[in-house]
Amino acid sequence: MLRFLKKVTSYASDAVKAANYLTQGLAVTFDHMRRRPITIQYPYEKLIPSERYRGRIHYEFDKCIACEVCVRVCPINLPVVDWVMNKETKKKELRNYSIDFGVCIFCGNCVEYCPTNCLSMTEEYELATFDRHNLNYDNVALGRLPTNVTTDPSVKALRELAYLPQGTMDPHDVPTTQTRAGKLPTEMLELMNQSSSKNKSNESVADSAQIEEKKKQ
Amino acid sequence: MTMVTYQAKNLLAQVSAGLDLEVSFSQAMKGLGFSPQLAHILWLPLPMLLVLVAALIGVLVTVWLERKISAAAQQRIGPEYAGALGILQPMADGLKLLVKEDVIPAKADSLLFTLGPVLVLVPVILSWLIVPFGQNLLISNVGIGIFLWISLSSIQPIGLLMSGYASNNKYSLLGGLRAAAQSISYEIPLALAVLAVVMMSNSLSTVDIVDQQNNAGFLSWNIWRQPVGFLIFWICALAECERLPFDLPEAEEELVAGYQTEYAGMKFALFYLGSYINLILSALLVSVLYLGGWGFPIPVELLANWLNQSIDAPIIQIITGSLGIVMTVIKAYLLVFLAILLRWTTPRVRIDQLLDLGWKFLLPISLVNLLFTAALKLVFPTFFGG
Repeated sequence: MLRFLKKVTSYASDAVKAANYLTQGLAVTFDHMRRRPITIQYPYEKLIPSERYRGRIHYEFDKCIACEVCVRVCPINLPVVDWVMNKETKKKELRNYSIDFGVCIFCGNCVEYCPTNCLSMTEEYELATFDRHNLNYDNVALGRLPTNVTTDPSVKALRELAYLPQGTMDPHDVPTTQTRAGKLPTEMLELMNQSSSKNKSNESVADSAQIEEKKKQ
Repeated sequence: MTMVTYQAKNLLAQVSAGLDLEVSFSQAMKGLGFSPQLAHILWLPLPMLLVLVAALIGVLVTVWLERKISAAAQQRIGPEYAGALGILQPMADGLKLLVKEDVIPAKADSLLFTLGPVLVLVPVILSWLIVPFGQNLLISNVGIGIFLWISLSSIQPIGLLMSGYASNNKYSLLGGLRAAAQSISYEIPLALAVLAVVMMSNSLSTVDIVDQQNNAGFLSWNIWRQPVGFLIFWICALAECERLPFDLPEAEEELVAGYQTEYAGMKFALFYLGSYINLILSALLVSVLYLGGWGFPIPVELLANWLNQSIDAPIIQIITGSLGIVMTVIKAYLLVFLAILLRWTTPRVRIDQLLDLGWKFLLPISLVNLLFTAALKLVFPTFFGG
């Protein structure tokens, strides 16, 4: 008898707990209803990609020395570097360079290891084509300037949450003059320079000149 | 015997019969020189058409609400471009389904395949026969009222099973079987929960059930006397409608779309329509059985007395009649809102959990609830409808 009662009580407490969890869940769902939609009306509005965005790779043919470091660091040896050895000048002569973006995973290793900085990641991400072979970009296609959401007149460019002024949640109707929360990279650099010049005030002026040089770059 | 006397008492107790459109209609027709029989025949199709149109508009509104509320719960916007706030989106959906090709798979049983969706939709629409929006604002006040709905709703799984089998598709068959199993296991607690209410109001008629709840405004609603029954009924109603915690028959992650997999165009639209009409119907019946139906939270007689108006004055009758319709619809749509919210809150149960919940939890609880109600009825006959 006692065991039966125990069973009944544990069953009842289970049911009560389940009901409690259900109401908690309902409260969460209900609370979400009063939150602002995060929708970006895509073809008309687009988010500005962050500065570390890894989009389509840009390539400068004239800077390339055909060293094939990009091929070696690529997880699947994707870039095709088509060069021939010029016997007379004893130099590599680059003929073609291509990356197939249908296969690329946009890891950015090639960009990171390129000794001459001829590769760079852009903010372009709309690569859709009707034929997958069209994604195989040659050096001409790779050399095209990336499309830019901020300069496209048919698109309303919106800032991502981290780039909005402090306390603002809605990217619509935020004036471009208002900068994001926190300091910009240039401001950070200035601060660093000030503090370093204070610390090393007795050191040579050449050092600070060097920093100035770097900043300009 | 007791039922008859109760009904007689009930009739005497009602000082106002409320708005009766049929009487006014037949009087108007008599004025135009028609015989009463002809007036009756002319009257008959009108409420049916009206209720059918109301049900269809209800479906459109519910589909729109479902999409908008789902969007809000997920921080989206939802339909926006079809009409103001996307209000025409369900119309666009319907139009799309109307002009789509009506595909019947080559190896399907074409007769059963066509009959399935019809058998799903027709009982649901027929059940609107007994939904009251006011004292006389229903198609037919049949004596077996709520029992008619229970029996009609058990036709539905036959249609589901039929379409699942006729599709000649494993997913469809599984979905149909699940629908049948689910309906059978949730019909019983549903009927038992209704039985407790029926026991308290001494009548199967929906009008009597509502009347008996409207003596003291919201305090006399059945939800206070039947809280457990209300929960059981709501859970079972969700299961009958195949709404989200119990949408196993069409669980898209495992069964593609269950018994609907092979359907397209208008046949699919029938399923779609059926499921939404069923949802509204269930919400309406919950409000009829437990939330006082067309009753205003404060009794209208009291309000009329307070305003020094006779409850039988034509204007007051029209006002109370429309107030009744508005109250019924508001209560039903609050429940629809709850169902949509539940859809985005609860995960889908497994088939064994579903059957466990039905047979091992709801059935014993509803039996205990029934026995408890019977006991209370014997002990406190004044409060529990002796």
